[in-house]
Formats: sequence, C-alpha cells, structure tokens
Amino acid sequence: MSIRKLAVVTAVAAVMLAACSSASPGASASGSAAGSAASSAAVACTVGVSWNNYQQPRWAAHDQPNIKKTVEDGGGTYIDADANLSDEQQLTDVDTLISKGANVLILLAQNQNSILPAVQKAKDAGIPVIAYDRLIEDADTLYITFNNVGVGEAEAKAILEKVPTGNYVLIKGDPGDPNAATFLPQGWDNAGLADKVASGDITLLNGPDGTFTDAWATSTAQDNMEAIIDKAVADGTDIEAILAENDSTALGVVAALTAKNYGYPPLSGQDGDPANLNNVAQGKQYVDVFKNANELGKAAGALALELCQGTAPADLTLPDGLIDASVAPTAGLSAQDFETPGKLTVSSFILQPTPLTAENLQVAVDAGQITKEDLCKGVDAATAPDACK
Amino acid sequence: MSLQQNPAVTDHPPVAGRTPLVEMRNINVAFGGVHAVRDVTIDLYAGEVVGLVGGNGAGKSTLMRVLSGARPADSGEILVDGTKVTIANPRDAKAIKIETIYQTLALADNIDAPANLFLGRELVTGLGTLDDSAMEDATRKVMGRLNPNFSRFKQPVRSLSGGQRQAVAIARAVHFNARILIMDEPTAALGPAETEQVRELIRQLKREGIGIFLISHDIHDVYDLSERISVMYHGQLVGTVNKSEVTSDEVLAMIIMGKAPGDVTEREMATLHQ
Amino acid sequence: MTNVAEAAPVPGRNQPRARTSLRGLFAQTEIDYRLFGMLVALAVILLTFNILSGGKFFQPTNMVTLAVQASGVAIIATGMVLVIVSRNIDLSVGSVVGVIAMTYALLMTDLLPNVLGMGPDFPFRWVIALALGLGLGAAIGALQGFIIAYVGVPAFIVTLGGLLSIRGVVWYLSSGAAVSGLDKNFQLIGGGALGSIGGTLTWILAVVACFPIIALLIQGRRRRRRYGFPVRPVWAETLLGIVGCAAAIGVAAFANANLWPKGLAAKYATEHGITAPPGGLQISTGFPYPIMLLIGVTLIMTWMATRRRFGRYVFAYGGNPDAAELGGINTRWTILKTYVLMGVLCAIAAAISAARLNGATLDVGTGYELYVITAAVVGGTSFAGGIGTIPGAVLGAFVMQSLAYGLSFMGVNSPGQNVVAGIVLIVAVGLDTLNRRRGS
Repeated sequence: MSIRKLAVVTAVAAVMLAACSSASPGASASGSAAGSAASSAAVACTVGVSWNNYQQPRWAAHDQPNIKKTVEDGGGTYIDADANLSDEQQLTDVDTLISKGANVLILLAQNQNSILPAVQKAKDAGIPVIAYDRLIEDADTLYITFNNVGVGEAEAKAILEKVPTGNYVLIKGDPGDPNAATFLPQGWDNAGLADKVASGDITLLNGPDGTFTDAWATSTAQDNMEAIIDKAVADGTDIEAILAENDSTALGVVAALTAKNYGYPPLSGQDGDPANLNNVAQGKQYVDVFKNANELGKAAGALALELCQGTAPADLTLPDGLIDASVAPTAGLSAQDFETPGKLTVSSFILQPTPLTAENLQVAVDAGQITKEDLCKGVDAATAPDACK
Repeated sequence: MSLQQNPAVTDHPPVAGRTPLVEMRNINVAFGGVHAVRDVTIDLYAGEVVGLVGGNGAGKSTLMRVLSGARPADSGEILVDGTKVTIANPRDAKAIKIETIYQTLALADNIDAPANLFLGRELVTGLGTLDDSAMEDATRKVMGRLNPNFSRFKQPVRSLSGGQRQAVAIARAVHFNARILIMDEPTAALGPAETEQVRELIRQLKREGIGIFLISHDIHDVYDLSERISVMYHGQLVGTVNKSEVTSDEVLAMIIMGKAPGDVTEREMATLHQ
Repeated sequence: MTNVAEAAPVPGRNQPRARTSLRGLFAQTEIDYRLFGMLVALAVILLTFNILSGGKFFQPTNMVTLAVQASGVAIIATGMVLVIVSRNIDLSVGSVVGVIAMTYALLMTDLLPNVLGMGPDFPFRWVIALALGLGLGAAIGALQGFIIAYVGVPAFIVTLGGLLSIRGVVWYLSSGAAVSGLDKNFQLIGGGALGSIGGTLTWILAVVACFPIIALLIQGRRRRRRYGFPVRPVWAETLLGIVGCAAAIGVAAFANANLWPKGLAAKYATEHGITAPPGGLQISTGFPYPIMLLIGVTLIMTWMATRRRFGRYVFAYGGNPDAAELGGINTRWTILKTYVLMGVLCAIAAAISAARLNGATLDVGTGYELYVITAAVVGGTSFAGGIGTIPGAVLGAFVMQSLAYGLSFMGVNSPGQNVVAGIVLIVAVGLDTLNRRRGS
C-alpha cells in the first residue's frame, strides 16, 4: 500500500516539474524533460542530430565534430542518434531526440518519404527541422547540402574535358538512393553527357542506365566492373573513360582494372576518401570531387543555433568568415530558395564541392582530409603530383 | 505371506557358488524432480535371460541406461564378474563388453550398415583413414549369420525394413563379442516371422553363455525366453522371481499392482482380468 | 564361448546383373546422380549465356574471372556443408571474413611495420600476416563453437550475435575507412595474370592429377576384389579414368588459353630481352592462385568428410544425434571442430578478398552468409541434417556465380540478378525434395 502511495507522489511531482520546465518549445510531457530545464537560463539550445548511417566514415570524421563544436561554442548542447540504415529506427530516433528536449533537429533522412511523419511530429512540437545533406520534401524545412547535382557536374566536367569522345562506362550507386538514381546522373547530363551520347560522340558500353551497385559496396563494384571489362575485351572495344558516382564504387573499379591489368582510363569519384585520394596521387583515379564536410557541419551548427533563437528559415544568414570562401554558396551568405523535384520551395544553403585532381591535392591535405604520408604512399617519385613533392 | 518368506521371491543366487555376470546394487537415479530408480538391486548370470518388466514409468529403461553408460547412476554400484566397475559413458560399458540394443535402435539413418555397426569404433588404416572395406567385410560376415538374404550394405540405413534395421542393431552387439546384452523391446516393431527370428537368436546367444537383460512389454515373450523375471513398479524393484515358480498372473499382479505374489489377495487377483 | 561373428565368409558374392538400358549403364559407373545433375546444370547455364552473347561468353578470360569471383564463397561453402549436416548453422561468416580482411590490411599497412618493425622488405611478411589471420579465424571459430557445443546456446543465436557484433568491430578497427596498400606478394593471392601459377606448372599439374585419379580407380577395384565385393565393369572403370584425365587436361588447357594482357606481356618481353613474335608474346596465365586454393581446400575437406572419423562423426550426428552420443562419440568436440574449420576457411576467403581489393573496406564479406548457405543448399545439403556433399557445395557456388556473372556480362542489373538467384534457389531445392521423395 505505502509503496503504491510513494509511486503516486513521485509521479505527481514529476509531472509538476515537467509542467514548470515547459518554457522552451518542444519540451515534452514525459519526465525526462526536467533535464533540459536544468541547463543555463536564456539561450538554452539543444541541437538533436539524427544520423542515418553513422558507420560511413565521413560523418564521424568531419560532419559530427564540426556540428558539435560549432553548437557548443555557441553555448548549445549537442545530442544525437544513429538509425543504422533503418527507416523505422530513424522514426524512433526522432521521437527520442524530441523527448530528450531537442529544440532544433538536424536530420539525415534515410528515406525521404518515410521521414515525413517524423518531420510532422517535430513541426507539431514547434521544433524547426534542418534537412542535412539529403533532401526532405517539406516546405518548412531548411535544406543544407552540397550541390549534389553540382557534384555530378564536377565529376563529368573533369572527365569530359579529358576524354571528349570515346567509349564510356557508367558506374552508379545503390538503386534506391535518389543521389545515385537522379541527382548525380542529372549533374552528368548538365555537364554535357546526354548531349554527347545523343550526338554519338560518346558510346555507353554498359547500357543507357549504366550499372548500379547494391549498397554502394566496393566488392560488388569490383565484380561488376570485371564482367564489364571482360565484355569489352570480348567485343574488342576499348574502355576510354569511367564515370563512377562515388569513391567506394571507384575503389572497386580500380581493383578490377588492376586485377585485369587493364590500365587506368580516367575515372571519377566523390567523397575524398583517403584510399581514393592516394589512387589519384598514383594516377589510378583522375578526379575525386571532394565535399569539405567540415564546412557543411559548421554551417549546420551555426544555422541550428540561429533557428533556436526563433529566426525563420528564409531569414537566416551564415556568419561571415565561418565557411571557406571556395566552399560557400555561390549565391552568397543568405538563405536561397530551392525548388525540389516535388515542386516545393524550401529555404536552402547549397555549398560548393571541390574537384580534386593530381594538380590540387594539397587542398585535401590542408583540410585535414588526409595526411601527406598517406596521400603519397606508393607514389612513383618520377610521376608524383605537386602535393607529394 | 510376506515378501521375505515366499521362496519364489529371492535375492539369493539360484545356483550356489556361481558369481553373477552382472550385479547392480542399490542403484538410485533421480532427475527433473522424479526419482526414477529407487534403490534397485538386480543381477544376471551367464547364459540366462532376465526379463525386466513393469508398467510405463516403472524405471526399467532408466535402470538399463545406467548399465549401458547412457546415464550414470546417482548412487549404487555395479559389479561385473564380482569386480566393481565404473560406467561413466557408453564407451566404458562397451569396454567391459556390455552392448545395448535400444528401443529406438540408435542407428544413424543417413549412413550405411557397416558405418552404423562400427559407429564410434571405426576401423582405421595405418594412415588413420577409415577402412571402409574392412568394415564392410566384417559387416557382411556377421550379417550373414543373422540375416543371410541381406544385401544392401552400401545404402543408407533409412532404406531398410524394420526387421533389417533390427538385425543391424543386433549385429553390432554380436560382432563386438558382447558378454552382457541389454535388449530394450527388441520385437516391438516386428512382424511374426521376424519376431521368431529374434527369439531364436536370443536362444542361440543364451546357449553361447551370453547374459541378456530383456525389457519387453510382451508378457509371453518374457515368459518364453526368460529364466528369471525382475519386476519394477514406480522405480522400485517389486521382486525377482524364477519363472518356473510363479504363474503369469502372479507376474501380472506384480507389474500392475506392484505387489509380490505373497502380498496379493485372492480378490485382487480376480480383478486382474476384468 | 564361440563368437558368432567369426563364421567363415559367405562364398560367391554376386555381381549385380548387368543392365543394358542407358539408366542401367549409368548406374554401373556408380556416379553420384546429384553431382552429375549439377554439372549438367552448370553446363546448360554456361551454354545458354554463350548463345545469348553470340559466342563471346565462354572464353578463357571470362571463365577464369568467374572462377576467381566464385572461389571465396566456394571455399567457405565446403565448411558450411559440415555445419549444416550436423544440424547447425553459421550466420557469422560474412562478418568474420570482413574482420579478418581488415586485419590483414591493418597488419600489412600499419601494425607489422609500425609496431613490430617489420618493414615492406621484411622477408615473408605476407606469410606472417596470413598466419595471424588464419589464427584469428580459428580463434573466432573456437569461441563460437565452444558456446554452441559446450554451453548449449543455439547456433542460430550465437552466429547471429557474431554477425552483428563482429561487423561492428570492423568499424572500430578502421573508423569505417578503407585501408589499402598490401604486400605485393600478398596481392598475388587474389589472382590476375601475375597471381597465377603459369602455363608450365598448370600442364604439369594436369598430368600429375591423372595419376591419383587412375591410382584411386585401380586401388578401389583391388580392394573390392580382395573382399569379394561387387566391382564396376571394366568398361566403366576405363571410361571414368579417361573422362577424369581428360577433364583435368581439358581444364588445364582452357586455363592456359587465358593469356597475359598484351601490355603486360610486352613489358615482360622488353624486361627479359625477348624479341616478341608478331602479334605479341603469348604467355599463359594457367590456374590463378585463388583456384589453386579452392582445389586444395576442396580436396582436403572432401578427404576429411569421407575418409576421416571426424567426417563420419559429423554425418552420424546429423543423422541421429542420440545414436552418435550412444556410440560413444565426443559430439561436442566434433561440433566445435566444425566451427574452427569455418573460421579458418573464412580466413582463407578473406585473404582472397583482401588481395583482390588490395586492401579492405567496411563492407567486405557483407552478405556472404547468404551466398554460402545458398551454395551449400543448391549443392544438395539439407537443413534436416545428415545429408550433403562438399563437391556439391562447390558446384553450387559455381552455379550461383555463373548466373551472377553471366547476367552482369549481359548487362542485367543487380535487382534482376537477385530475382534470378532467388528463383534458382527455390527450384534447385524443390527438385531435390521431389527427387528424394520419389526415391524413398
């Protein structure tokens, strides 16, 4: 009997505490909201980040530390959760972040449609949402990303300059990822690929859609590329250029070319993974479009803090000097309108990617993406790029 | 009459001066909250069949599993030829020439007769590899005695008939020169002709001096083949009787009511056949 | 006391009557129906793709690529047969391959040079890395095997836990990044023109292989005669001998028809001062090392499964675990050994994967468990336990890979490949089930 009474008293006390702490928007009725009330008085800003696949190296190495530092330097608190590639898990994660007292959410949507209920929940709780790196079709979100179409453009532009006519192989990523299926190919076409194919200047060796790679897996890309090489040899055609959408697939392509002693036609990639940058230094990959995720993280952190203050997305501006000039949006430091494929208009900050070739590898070293030692491993002194001299 | 005074029920050796082939003294086995075998003492002489009977759950199979090494006893001792032995696992039992033919036959269906015969005791060549030819040869020899028409030596045992499988199980015991044989319901799954074959085999083995514990629910088989009958009831030994000194009804009463011949009233005897 | 078993042997054991129908003739060769059927299926698949591609598919280069791609899965599948036969499963193989591949990469790029002072010129550094990887595989296998056999946790659970946790460990080892740059010698394990044994050695092997084939046939016949068992008719024995030798030489010839790429051959010619004939110097690659590893593993595993007590115990346990226990077999030790074997086989496959990639990524080995189990099952291993063959599993791996490679070659993308793979799996097992039901 007395235990039950004690339980009731405790529950009532918790509810009362929660009610008292509901000054900040989005504090939920469950007892754990007491925590956020305990943090410092005026500008209490808890930034909640929902990762979709934290295991991919880039996030832990670049985005996360920069978001966290920027938020904490601005007096905020950083919390996060990882959905481990699962849509359902991400919905749960968003719930958890909200109940832990997040005042603003940064979301990497695992699936741009499945995430919508979570976004709605946040909006209902009055929590602003930033769509980070991946688009969410919701007019009230703030879209912060690299110009993914621009990445594709940069990839294709570099390769098309090197190989204006000839036989091309297209290697794409996971068929379910809109980046792989839509945005990057769109960028390739913007740079002129579609026109050249239509005019006959370029022949696609592995079909009009190219070859997709389940889960962007390197070994799968290697197996696929080996089959493509075999077919080309059997047909008597030369592979003169390879457009690979990202570094993990490009790594598989290089392994296949090595195994077949085929030589290294110009090859594209993105992400600036150390192994691939080393390949660029060795001449096995031609261009690696580097997205300086450090800058993206800084931008998101700063903008999240501003949203906490109640600024509307359309009125946001990036602090001067926070972001490197070459990476900053071409349109300037204020929020721009962006039209989504679903015909919605969102406020956005679109950062610029940096194509890296053997000429400007130093940029990667300066950005802390790779050490000079790792970059230059196995590089022949006679043909070494500038960054290795 | 009390248990002690009925001359048919005895725990003295039927032939004075002979050591029993096997003696199990004060065996206790308990598991899962059930005291399956309570302080049971039985013995077996060379060249005889002791029928081990009792209702379901009487503890007969458990008692024999102690002897075969499948489940060691919690307490009690076992003597073979008067010497105490430890049987901790099936290997120990086989080492002292105790062979068991289980009710389920313990055959692996997916391998052939020779492999089953030698299961766990395979013949190996000098290099340590299986000597399948030698095993097949030995199997052919022993099966030739038990079932001369048997020819499916290379097929998995699952393709054999019930009688043929039984023959393989028995051949296993015979080949390894068992001195003590435990047979658990050997004829349960057999037709009349095959049952008679097994019965004849048991008689033959008896003549050769092998001692056999025969568990069977078929009271006629037991009566036909055994010299003595040990009856168990709810884990306890009701008594061991000489077949020649009791009627089958008295044995039935021991099985069903757990009472020794001297302790059963005439009225209770009358209820047996209702 | 006479022994019943010591009676004189039954004289005049009969030869089975010769049957002249095709089926009868086939039965007299005593070839395993199922294995033969799988070979036929493989041949049909290759032939179909060849026709569809206008004759371009069935070329030495392509078949060598296919074989190398199948080798990793096939190697692990030989061990999976024993695991499934003994009524267990191993879902962790993909993650184990991943962690060992990453270990190889880290050992050769970081730990050996930086921590142990073994630089790139250290002799046989790749052997040390390989040995450590095999040891790690055995250790992981032993741990899982111990928990399954001695503690009694179901295999599905233990290896599922292994699949999850070990994949997580891979991430921690490299912070998710790809690690690359292995020893030149280690890379040869992955195949390719340099990673093959060369034309001469391949011919030698083929000829040498003939001898054991014929010797086995002769020895087998002699043994049977000695005991008076039925023997195969002479024509059947000769046919098998000829077919066996021809197959060995034929496969070798095919592998030797695979030539070094022109550029590499030209480089070799200039380096060795050989004047190249018109059309370029033609150097045969011969069998790639991954295939040599596969052949070696298959021979050893088949030998263990059929000629050692260990194999007999695995099958007996799978057929009737009680019977095995009552037979006095140490079943727990046997089960543990099956898992140690799996760990070692994963380490070999991981070496091939890492060598092919010249490094390791987070996703090496992902999904392997499904491919390996499919290979074993398509090859005739039954989940009920007690039934399966190792050559069957290897053939199963080749059947599945020939489909994947063939579809890739024809330009069919991965969703299409997955649809076909799923259908083939169901059809193969379905045919097997019907066949068994008809036979029993």
